[in-house]
Amino acid sequence: MASTNGNGTVVLALPRGRILTEVLPVLKRAGIEPEAEFNDSNSRRLIFGTNRPGLNVIRVRSFDVATYVAFGAAQIGVAGSDVLMEFEYPEIYAPLDLGIGRCHMAVAEPGEMVATDDPTRWSHVRVATKYPNITKRHFAARGVQAECINLSGAMELAPNLGLCRRIVDLVSTGSTLRANGLVEVERIAEVSSRLAVNRAALKTRPDEMRALIESFRAAIHG
Amino acid sequence: MNDTLRKALLPSGLSDTLMPDAAFEADMIELMLGAFAAWGYERVKPPLVEFEASLLDGPGGAIAAQMFRVMDPVSDRMMAIRADITPQVARIATSRLRNAARPLRLSYAGPVLQVKGTELKPEREITQVGIELIGSTALAADAEVIAATADALRSVGIAEPSFDLTMPNLVPLVCAAMKLDAETAAHARTALDRKDAGALQALTGLTASQRTVLAGMLSAAGSAESCVGALQAAKLGSAAEALVRDLGTVVSHVRSALPDLRLTVDPVEFRGLEYQTGISFTVFSRGVTEELGRGGRYPLASGETATGATLFMGSVLQGVPARAATRSLYLPFGTTAAQAARARAEGWTTRAALESDASSRSAAAAQGCTHILEGGAPRPLPSRT
Repeated sequence: MASTNGNGTVVLALPRGRILTEVLPVLKRAGIEPEAEFNDSNSRRLIFGTNRPGLNVIRVRSFDVATYVAFGAAQIGVAGSDVLMEFEYPEIYAPLDLGIGRCHMAVAEPGEMVATDDPTRWSHVRVATKYPNITKRHFAARGVQAECINLSGAMELAPNLGLCRRIVDLVSTGSTLRANGLVEVERIAEVSSRLAVNRAALKTRPDEMRALIESFRAAIHG
Repeated sequence: MNDTLRKALLPSGLSDTLMPDAAFEADMIELMLGAFAAWGYERVKPPLVEFEASLLDGPGGAIAAQMFRVMDPVSDRMMAIRADITPQVARIATSRLRNAARPLRLSYAGPVLQVKGTELKPEREITQVGIELIGSTALAADAEVIAATADALRSVGIAEPSFDLTMPNLVPLVCAAMKLDAETAAHARTALDRKDAGALQALTGLTASQRTVLAGMLSAAGSAESCVGALQAAKLGSAAEALVRDLGTVVSHVRSALPDLRLTVDPVEFRGLEYQTGISFTVFSRGVTEELGRGGRYPLASGETATGATLFMGSVLQGVPARAATRSLYLPFGTTAAQAARARAEGWTTRAALESDASSRSAAAAQGCTHILEGGAPRPLPSRT
């Protein structure tokens, strides 16, 4: 394993997939350029060097960015505020809103249900989601117990196939919901990508970490 | 698998500490208590379980949800297992030691039990080592606790601990001076604690200048001197400004005692320190992803004030350099009691054969010995790799 702690390298965790294409221009403006092989999607490597000595980048699933940063395996990362909200790791600081990957999180249900449903009478709902913690907190705040069915994708299928009536998921344009006959009934939170920083790393290497944060700040404001 | 192994399963967050770790941990605890003793801190030993009402008094209220309860069949009263030793030492200081001269310096070490671990720190049994300095309002007391804690960490080989100074009360005082309503203040406090600049920007109910002050406090976090400078330049309201002056005094006290100590200030952090009032601190060390310990000032039920520090052995041990394996001497069957006693008197750890074995050398290796007594003298065994 590469030295990722102590006096060694700083590891920057980046989310694979859709967000990555939005992150790369920000990285470039921040003066961080991963080695060429990073952009080769056929590469089997998981950890890559950059033009900055002592800074490596890794590509992981977006949910795993938060885990790597929380445990200090990566000192810094780019994570959606949805992921940070779901885990609420006290060891993660989110000092910067990168303003990319914007969407929102919402409750949706089949269009025909909306007409007859009276949410004020609920005591219990069953929801398909990959955000069970956020979902439970959201409904608990108004006295409703949410029983979550954990799915990791294609949430919109669940109501149509009778798995359960409601879903909690990210919505960007709403076209996937519409295509599956679902209607957004409640907005839970606005979502965007944040710079996530490990607390112990910020405390024990303050100058190094703050310089990194500042280069990201300059990249999004500059 | 057989029944014996199934019974080895322990409840989550609990573990057996085996050799050589158990002895190592005990040695490290003694070293740290020794360092505290050198600063005049005397050891006390409260019980593992107390009446719930006593543990909840004073600083104990903040961790009520972390305590296991058990009914005492003798008194018919509810007892609780301690989740933190500080409230017990505070109780001792204000009751049995109420007539002892102030300032009172006490130290302690022992296990505590907590109801829930976290994903990051799943341990539910935690060994705490700490000190309390009771009955002095002087800022020199805050500085002494930091310096003594740094000494204790050095005594176990953590050469470069990092102390992050916080003021759990600062953000509430600033919010009060701004006359924020309770809900806005609570949201602001959470956003600042998480260093969530996005959430702070999105927060409604703040004027532009208030947002600038809070965002300025957030970005001031960093090395101690520059942060104190930035805070002193900000308009925070008179109560908060007095706290910042205290912070500046503590920083200069600590600096003059320990010029090389890594010292940072985080003006917006308050997590888990609800009962603390003045200057608090969190201890980190490079390469350890958890806090090594915490400390700070808190009020006692008697109206006195105290400051103290608690180190968590599990985290401390992650930062302690490994110790070389101890040498041990195999005593083949037939070694006389006098020979064995002489070897031990010379400082050897001995392991004696209890019955004759086919090969003393292989038995010695199986016992993990580094040497064997042959021809009346210790001879090194080939080291196993």
